Amino acid sequence: MRAVNHTIRNRAKLTGWLFIAGAVLMICLFYFYPMIQALLLSFKTGAGANLHFDGLANYKRLLSDKTFFTAVKNTFLFLIVQVPVMIVFAMMISVLLNDSKLRFKGFFRTAIFLPCVTSLVAYSVVFKYLFGNDGLINLALLNMHILSEPIQWISDPFWAKVTIIIAITWRWTGYNMIFFLSSLQNIDSSIYEAARIDGASGPRQFFSITVPLLKPIILFTSITSTIGTLQLFDEIMNITKGGPGNATLSISQYIYNLSFKYTPDFGYAATVSYSIVIMIIVLAFLQIKLAGDDK
Amino acid sequence: MKKKATALLLAGFMLLTACSSNSNTKNEANTGTEGNAAGSQKITVWAWDKNFNIAAMNLAKDAYVAKNPDAQIEVVEYAQDDIIQKLNTGLNSGSASGLPNIVLIEDYRAQSFLQTYPDAFQELGDAIKTSDFAEYKLGPTSFNGKQYGVPFDSGVVGLYVRTDYLQEAGYTVDDLQDIDWQQYIEIGKAVKAKTGKDMLTQDPNDLGLIRMMIQSAGSWYLKEDGTTPDLKDNAVLKEAFESYKELMNADIVKVNSDWSSFLAGFNSGDVASVPTGNWITPSVKASADQSGKWAVVPFPKLKNAANSVHASNLGGSSWYVLNNDGKEAAVKFLGATLGSDVALYQKLVTDVGVVGTYKPAAEGEAYGAADEFFGGQKVIADFAKWTAEIPNVNYGLHTYAIEDILKVEMQNFLNGTELDKALSDAQSQAESQIQ
Repeated sequence: MRAVNHTIRNRAKLTGWLFIAGAVLMICLFYFYPMIQALLLSFKTGAGANLHFDGLANYKRLLSDKTFFTAVKNTFLFLIVQVPVMIVFAMMISVLLNDSKLRFKGFFRTAIFLPCVTSLVAYSVVFKYLFGNDGLINLALLNMHILSEPIQWISDPFWAKVTIIIAITWRWTGYNMIFFLSSLQNIDSSIYEAARIDGASGPRQFFSITVPLLKPIILFTSITSTIGTLQLFDEIMNITKGGPGNATLSISQYIYNLSFKYTPDFGYAATVSYSIVIMIIVLAFLQIKLAGDDK
Repeated sequence: MKKKATALLLAGFMLLTACSSNSNTKNEANTGTEGNAAGSQKITVWAWDKNFNIAAMNLAKDAYVAKNPDAQIEVVEYAQDDIIQKLNTGLNSGSASGLPNIVLIEDYRAQSFLQTYPDAFQELGDAIKTSDFAEYKLGPTSFNGKQYGVPFDSGVVGLYVRTDYLQEAGYTVDDLQDIDWQQYIEIGKAVKAKTGKDMLTQDPNDLGLIRMMIQSAGSWYLKEDGTTPDLKDNAVLKEAFESYKELMNADIVKVNSDWSSFLAGFNSGDVASVPTGNWITPSVKASADQSGKWAVVPFPKLKNAANSVHASNLGGSSWYVLNNDGKEAAVKFLGATLGSDVALYQKLVTDVGVVGTYKPAAEGEAYGAADEFFGGQKVIADFAKWTAEIPNVNYGLHTYAIEDILKVEMQNFLNGTELDKALSDAQSQAESQIQ
């Protein structure tokens, strides 16, 4: 009797495995195999197809590579400035939209979420023209007499960074807002009611109720935004091409340049890719620790 | 964003593995090789720029098919960046089946493909006579003494000038013949003072002007071996940097940020001159109302560099045959058309505006025709003449890698860093970059 039970359980187990076997196989083939290959590749040097193992040469080169450090610096600048601004924006907008007295809610939600539907390349190209030296933004500012000289939105090292930050904020704020909105709708309105009875002001309610209850979402959005920003590519490639000089070069664009713009050096490009992996792991770990979420 | 993250990661990793390249290229292989399988000789050609390279290749195709009715030639348009990516991934995976038979490669990048994938390209042998082509094109298109590329368009540069603006400032076209950059800047200041127009438009993120300046003196970012960076103590490069800074600081430059605003700069009549490659002619002519107001004068030279001449190059590309099925047919096709057909080159001039680098073609009538847009000047003949004078340099493998380093140092130099320091910094970065 026992033996029969055992067989049935085994068979059930086997069926379970069979159900996921296809997915597991695909994931191994298309996720883990390339990852391991890329790790191996990061120890090889040589141009194009002439690759050979060269120990830690690529990693040594990485540590003395000025362009790489500029790319890291730029990427972190985008990260430090843009992610908090965007999260705060997203949170504020979601609170405004969650107001039960607000009219045309659906319209506003759609309007703010809509940028996420546009393709990265398409919106980047539009931004490039908007922010061109003779672009719409400059023309508008000049005609309104806010400026006397056009701003070099794309050709000036400082303004180019600002342009990129404006672009990504426009594109991703609505996306993050949706997470906050859905989470806000899960907060029981009786909590606010009780707070109001106790005499808590609007801001007090926001900081003492809304923010703590949104903490998991803040954590989630900041981690995904961090990962997204570390992989920033489309906007830079299409708006500034990393320029002027390398004022807006991002790590991902540097990887692209190493692989395709320059004489292909796939080994070193893989090394730089792995540096992003390491940075994401460290940053995500820090964010989880800082948020004190030990669940 | 997770999806974006995944896609980016995957794309990054997968490009690096043979596995993915195989699966990527299998689908495309059909277009490339089904003709061969059927026994006929279908030749696939990849190029970019519909109005220039593709149009030229289609003319070559028509000329060939007229004589060989059996031949099947398919010309496919891709962006240049896409061609580079597809070639790199395809050649790296060792599976050439998804690749075309003939591909266009920019001269600055040619060596990086020829040297990086030594067996991937087909030597042309006797199919073309190398001595018939402009000498400066032979360096980039050959490797180890073997000729791999059919030299195509000339990147010969000239100085396009607005004669009406110059006249207003008190100059004639004769005053601009054979000038140097110092004189150019002086004229620019006068034009700006009299007409309020800038002398030229420049994208600070594109050092094409520097490349033109240094090649006019037979110098390049690399030494003649094509691998040693030659930035620090390169007198020609130094003078080019100084001239560039003087130009930028003279308040005669309209800054642009991309190609379309570059074109708008002269199409809308905002600038008085365009120093660039002859392939800009169709774009200059796009403003038909400016007909008769333009002339092309020899490119300015560097004042102090002893070797500097009034001829240089910007861009330009050549055709290569890949070492895969159908290579014999592809070589035959190129040899019979762009390798020898003088009549075809006349058509290229009249129909597309391509100035070729095939020397016998310059004898043809299209090359000697006067162009009313340029006030009756025989521009094609002038360009053909200057093409022969372009100093030969070895572009080597690292033009764009070094240029990205130099762009940064140029910004530093413009902002006050000493030139020697900027160039020696660039040198050490280039040395660590190129290994």
